[in-house]
Amino acid sequence: MTIYDDIVVGSGASGLTMALLLAMGGRRVLILEKAPLIGGSLSMFSRGRVRFDTGFHFTGGLNEGGILSEMLTLLGMKELVEPVFLTKSVQNRFVFEESGKVFEQPPGIEPAKMKFKADFPSEGQAIDAYFEMIASVCNRTPSMNIQENLIAPPNLEEDYVSLDSVLKKLTGNPLLRGLLSGYAMCYGVRPDEISFANHARMVNNFYESIAFVKDGGDGLIMAFKKRLDFYGVDIRCGVSLLPFSDIKDGMVNSFTLTNGESVSAERAVFTIHPQEILSLIPEKSRSRAFASRISSFESSAGFFSVFAKIRNGAVDPEPDSAIISLFPDNDVNALLSPEYCGKPAVVIIKPPHAAHDACERGVCILEPAFPEKIAQWGDSTVGKRSSAYSDYKEERVEAIRAHIAAQLPAYSDVLEFVDAASTLTYRDYLCSHDGSAYGVKQKIGQFNLIGRLPLHNLYAAGQSALLPGVVGAMMSSLIVGRSIIGKDRYGRLLGGVS
Amino acid sequence: MTEEEIIEKTNRVFEESFEIEPGRLKADAHIFTDLGLDSLDIVDLVVALQSSFGVKIRTDEKVREIRTLGDVYSFIARVKNGEQD
Repeated sequence: MTIYDDIVVGSGASGLTMALLLAMGGRRVLILEKAPLIGGSLSMFSRGRVRFDTGFHFTGGLNEGGILSEMLTLLGMKELVEPVFLTKSVQNRFVFEESGKVFEQPPGIEPAKMKFKADFPSEGQAIDAYFEMIASVCNRTPSMNIQENLIAPPNLEEDYVSLDSVLKKLTGNPLLRGLLSGYAMCYGVRPDEISFANHARMVNNFYESIAFVKDGGDGLIMAFKKRLDFYGVDIRCGVSLLPFSDIKDGMVNSFTLTNGESVSAERAVFTIHPQEILSLIPEKSRSRAFASRISSFESSAGFFSVFAKIRNGAVDPEPDSAIISLFPDNDVNALLSPEYCGKPAVVIIKPPHAAHDACERGVCILEPAFPEKIAQWGDSTVGKRSSAYSDYKEERVEAIRAHIAAQLPAYSDVLEFVDAASTLTYRDYLCSHDGSAYGVKQKIGQFNLIGRLPLHNLYAAGQSALLPGVVGAMMSSLIVGRSIIGKDRYGRLLGGVS
Repeated sequence: MTEEEIIEKTNRVFEESFEIEPGRLKADAHIFTDLGLDSLDIVDLVVALQSSFGVKIRTDEKVREIRTLGDVYSFIARVKNGEQD
């Protein structure tokens, strides 16, 4: 039997961060990944010479002093990850189709604020108040600072009010509300369901800076891999854990892999979906209250995606690196509701050109989609779906084609669609729980699953634990990892971060 | 809501959500040492009480001060009477 200090289950941004932090803290670590390769939603795939992102497209927090930049420094990865920042406002546009208005967001909080105030001259007070509230929440949130990084329950007033209610108090202008809640696409929760505080914690990074990463998710995975190899972390893919059967004194004594092998470890940290964790814990080892809390978590939004490349020889009218959000409705609540029957939003994400031309990165076109909408095909697997499902996919692809042709005719001419993915595709290729993009839907007043579990040598982290996205996933791992390696060891690792 | 109703409903949460026998549910029972909950169960207790009483509970200091079942009754009474919303 192989003996480890820690098993980390799941190898997305959270699992890789967790494994690396534990290994840097002197622990012998094994990563278990159900999929054939590590990376989770950071994974990419190829069609011909073009490489496409799946779950990771762009991020905030990579600016100097930004939270992601600080986390990468702590993990010794800063030099291994090369950000490609959006530097011009034309690279980040929100198109509100009802009014035909286009808003560009320049990088930096002050420039963004000034730009919004110029676009909405009579709403200066509302815009100032909005940005002040965001800054205030971030300043009062300990987990936003990797030096402190404490697990604190949601305890700000802003944790108990929705983004929507705050915006409705600030302004009667639905267009401004739409613009200020547009980044809800980056966490997959309706503005009337997300707390203002969690909105603030996520979007502050996007107002500070937005960056692609050179080589996309591959770039991050390679950087992690290099550091994990350095620390001798073992990685096993294509296996996961069986439900726990060897339990002693409220702890799991040994872990059994799906291939029958037994592994001994002092602890296991789960960065997978909370409902997957629940399914591993025997009934007698947890309360009904715990099971009922975890089961009640809903899915965040996912995306129906079209993957495209620029036609050979065509002149691309869009700037290198761009994010264009097309909103047919001003009301982001509607755009993120499974019940919404109108034309869906579309976000076009064009990554930077590859520096060495070895492999181009393709354009990803995302349309909000909800696992419940395609539940009828939920039991099917890759390659064994019904013709009705193929019709659904074809219909979405054509709708997206028409949508782009209507709004961006010049761009539509140069795009060649090469593949498409539904939330089921994501679920099955990325081995995710439900194919949603951001794990559990973060609702106001919800108690997420983070830290110690009912079996006391088990822990939970991941994008469902704290905040969604790469930043939230990595933050959750620093917080939980710190409690495992101890404050002193963590403090010594922080030595490299000013 | 009367005190009796609060007691009955709270006890039902402990019976149904934590599988504790009704005979052990006394007001002076310590929720950790007598009823066997641990600090991690508090979050689940709060969530179960929220849905049972249809209230929103914040995990502030008042929750962390809870020690006995009687503390839970009076905590719920305070929440129900609108001291916390």
